[in-house]
Amino acid sequence: MHPLTMMQLKIDDSILLKVEKPAKYTGNEWNMVKKHLNNIKVRFAFCFPDDYEIGMSHLGMKILYHILNKREEVYCERAFAPWVDMEQIMREKNMPLYTLETYTPLSEFDMVGFTLQYEMSYTNILNMLELGRIPVLSKDRTEGMPFVIAGGPCACNPEPLADFVDFFVIGEGEEVILEIVDEYISWKEAGESRAEFLKRVSKVEGVYVPSFYDISYNEDGTIKDIIPANSDVPGRIRRRIIKDLDSVDFPDNIIVPYIGTVHDRIMLEIFRGCVRGCRFCQAGFIYRPVRERSHEKLYEIAKASAQNTGYDEISMVSLSTSDYSSLPELCNNLIEFTEEEKISLSLPSLRVDNFSLGLMDKVSKVRKSGLTFAPEAGTQRLRDVINKGITNEDLVSSVKLAVSGGWNQVKLYFMLGLPTETMEDVEGISKLSINLIESCRDITKAHGKALNITLSTACFVPKPFTPFQWEPMEEMDSLMKKQYHLKDLIKKRTRNIKYNYHDARISLMEAVLARGDRRLGKVIYTAWSNGCKFDGWDEFFSFDKWMEAFNECGLDPKFYANRKREYSEILPWDHIDMGVSKEFLIRENQKAYEGDLTRNCAAGCSACGAQIYKTGICTKTRRGLVYGESTEV
Amino acid sequence: MAKALRFRFSRGQELKYIAHLDMLRVFERAIKRAKIPVAYTQGFNPRQKLVFGLPMSIGLTSESEYADIELVEDMQPEEFVTQINKGLPDGLKAEEAVSMNTRDNIMNQITAARYEIVFEVKEPRSRFEIDTIIYDLLSREEISVMKKSKKGPKPVNIRPSIYSMSAGKIDAGKFLMKAFLSAGAENNLRVDLLMQSFSQETNLEINIISMHRKALYASTYNEWKNPFEVAND
Ligand code: SF4
Repeated sequence: MHPLTMMQLKIDDSILLKVEKPAKYTGNEWNMVKKHLNNIKVRFAFCFPDDYEIGMSHLGMKILYHILNKREEVYCERAFAPWVDMEQIMREKNMPLYTLETYTPLSEFDMVGFTLQYEMSYTNILNMLELGRIPVLSKDRTEGMPFVIAGGPCACNPEPLADFVDFFVIGEGEEVILEIVDEYISWKEAGESRAEFLKRVSKVEGVYVPSFYDISYNEDGTIKDIIPANSDVPGRIRRRIIKDLDSVDFPDNIIVPYIGTVHDRIMLEIFRGCVRGCRFCQAGFIYRPVRERSHEKLYEIAKASAQNTGYDEISMVSLSTSDYSSLPELCNNLIEFTEEEKISLSLPSLRVDNFSLGLMDKVSKVRKSGLTFAPEAGTQRLRDVINKGITNEDLVSSVKLAVSGGWNQVKLYFMLGLPTETMEDVEGISKLSINLIESCRDITKAHGKALNITLSTACFVPKPFTPFQWEPMEEMDSLMKKQYHLKDLIKKRTRNIKYNYHDARISLMEAVLARGDRRLGKVIYTAWSNGCKFDGWDEFFSFDKWMEAFNECGLDPKFYANRKREYSEILPWDHIDMGVSKEFLIRENQKAYEGDLTRNCAAGCSACGAQIYKTGICTKTRRGLVYGESTEV
Repeated sequence: MAKALRFRFSRGQELKYIAHLDMLRVFERAIKRAKIPVAYTQGFNPRQKLVFGLPMSIGLTSESEYADIELVEDMQPEEFVTQINKGLPDGLKAEEAVSMNTRDNIMNQITAARYEIVFEVKEPRSRFEIDTIIYDLLSREEISVMKKSKKGPKPVNIRPSIYSMSAGKIDAGKFLMKAFLSAGAENNLRVDLLMQSFSQETNLEINIISMHRKALYASTYNEWKNPFEVAND
């Protein structure tokens, strides 16, 4: 019997029929795991700090739910941020936030784990803790209360959340989460104190207990030192990875929601990491090295998943589908059974070439509507700065190829505010787009349908563990100026381009939280107390409330977002070891300013540091080279 | 043996919180999981040949929903029922099926529906008082409600769509309303809309506890018929 008194809530129609999409709050979906609580030693609440429709689309949660629940004595349940209508009723009725599996309040769990997918979900974590009746600050949690854990990509700079999270898991979770569970069971059996458990887990590789580290500051506000509390605590926390993807379980019986979610389909994770190393892209550095799942294994997973879920769509998931080494084999095998079972196959983030177009013709049952390209910058010079190995000619020929194949809508993604960007680069975006339309005119004339372009610009946000981690984010005014200028340029020239741009104020907050230190805890707390939540949603984001919070706490957002940092500065995440070395990042930063390209891992190794994991692409011999042998392009 | 079947199913508490399109998807997935040899439409986006009698709104339970399904292989109706239930989640259950051979589909055939609604009144009322309120309401020639249409909300007279309505007391302050309403593609009166207008028009403050569909009917020659009876018309 679970030691805590069990409390099961009853949520009835007087609540459910008053909210939008009540099925977000009822659980019991197909393949939801049900267990007898009598035999359970660890109850784990997996929390996604956003709406159900977003959270249920997240692959990482599905993987860990599966891995944890495979252990008989562990029960992993799910909770999501209630939408505002539901939250209001919950607060009125004094009803705690509960899990969908057993309707148990979060406060009754042994561990409550949050996944950090984007910075703008941080206030939702505080909100969910409060709704779940768990003290929001770690220091206020006492014996018998849950341990609050967090992991996911944003955990690579855990500092802004250090006040709220008892410990972080750095890196991939499949193995380490079970080690933590084991530690919990033996801790419980030993009858030790809360503090003892934190000591125990701090010895598990990949676990970071923020309260065991002291941070001191220089007068100018930069960090002076990061000091482990005692010699038992690791000086640096090394990110965990799965060496061989085929060796860990991948869920083939995922939960099938009753209501539509953002990615409502089977997700086949074909590999982790990315060979490319675009200098702005955090994902390109924090998941190194590239490790693939075998196509045989993927085929098995796909078949079993289709049978167990009844889904009519399978989508491959990775950072760049075209880079999967056995793509033809995988597709051929999948096409055979998906056609027969009327399942559509989608291959996102494919590079456009003859092979992929032929493939898309074969696999996609959907109409030829949209193709996506991400040149990221408008001129060759700037694309070289960011190591985006794509030329104007590549782009023109890809788009021409697609247009002759019957596609007439293209989405283009760019960034504004990249290091060294000038107005000329911004104008390059419009030139490039108009040039695409003109280059395709001959072909589109024959079709009778002009090429339509949807052009989006995001604001560049410098992220930890990228070569641009020292760079200032561009000032808001100047970003907005660029947005308006581009808008004007396009409007003057053509009606076939639709231009969207991101809210620079949300990007600024993202920049602050991404590279902040633990003093930001106060700001997050204050912003949340003042009503900030769902900050990633345009309709809820309040820039003014965030600015007030900075004011109240006496901190300057510009210090975090818009300041150029020296290579020698101690960065808030310097005690986290993601695999890529600082030397490599400095090298890449310098090469960026020279406009020097770095080859991708498939063409040759650049000794980024990830070779310490001794797996994946680092251990492949290519053209006679083994990792580390040559660092030149 | 038949290549097209009409089946009756029920929807319980567990699944009453989803909207019509979501339920359609639940069925499509259940059919795949249960390996029912369903027929698909041609074209870019093949869909299962599956038609429901009448949409169900959020909150409604039912013991008597109907749907038509086309198959590519013959299947005994009983076997179909056993098989599809393996793929259906708690809260949805196929009850019975018959072979079908009609050019009309179930959606076009449904014309009426019978409901049971349990509601609470805020101020105590006798059975007689409620009866009088209903009687007065039904005596009116016109009961106007705002219905959503493509051009925005517009007033519609729902009186002709109410075939009968009565209430019995089941508990202190709790009543069971029985309503027989026009339904289907041509003229559909949703039960939640009826209850909303019942409360508004009579100034009776009510709290709905449950809404349940008892039966769906098809009509031929002014006769109400069970949809199975017209499966081969
Ligand atoms: S060590 Fe070399 S091969 Fe391995 S990830 Fe880094 S650059 Fe790529």
